[in-house]
Amino acid sequence: MSTDPPITVDIKGEEVQELEREALGPDPTYADALAAVDLSPHEVSVLVDGRPVPEDQPLEATELTVLRLIKGG
Amino acid sequence: MTDSHTPQPVLVVPDSVRKALVEAARDAGPEECCGVLGGAFDPQRSRVTSWYPAANAADQPRERYLIDPTVQLEIFERLEDSGEDIVGFYHSHPRGPPVPSQTDVDAAAWPDRSYVIVVGPFEDERGSERPAVRSWRWRDGGETGHFERERLESPRGGPDDA
Repeated sequence: MSTDPPITVDIKGEEVQELEREALGPDPTYADALAAVDLSPHEVSVLVDGRPVPEDQPLEATELTVLRLIKGG
Repeated sequence: MTDSHTPQPVLVVPDSVRKALVEAARDAGPEECCGVLGGAFDPQRSRVTSWYPAANAADQPRERYLIDPTVQLEIFERLEDSGEDIVGFYHSHPRGPPVPSQTDVDAAAWPDRSYVIVVGPFEDERGSERPAVRSWRWRDGGETGHFERERLESPRGGPDDA
């Protein structure tokens, strides 16, 4: 039985998704959470409490905001 | 692949917003300007009601544009507070090209949203060329992702806009 709270992923402009932490494998990173919602670090930024977090860092937060990048040339 | 039976997408933009985007591009000088468009989003027919300028955070602002994620989030929260959707984005090409660049294609990340490009010249408009406002939808498809040109309409442009 799961004891960890779900990970809430708010993808701006789309939907809010919930992930079970156990489904992300042992010692997941923010990049693992992105992969679970079919997104790549190359196309988005992850923010926690309004601040960007490196995607390769251990997943500690339970509420993530995901922004598709706005850039080009 | 394009379905020939699918009508061309439409972006309804008030004349005042078009003029403001050209003015923002002109004010940015040789650098690219950028920002977010708010309003009512639809994959085939969106309507712009507001525009939110953002600082260009790219390392090479004459050739690239980037909206800082924290600024982006602030703009999105203002959009949500006013009940608007994310309709799309705008940036300028002070020296062309008059179409999305390869960099634009490589960086596109918002399926079905509008990517408005304000095309120069902005510094010398005495010639025959004038600034132009054009728009494309990003149609995501993995390897086949592409920009689809859309038609710009004025809110007073026709019966469909009533």
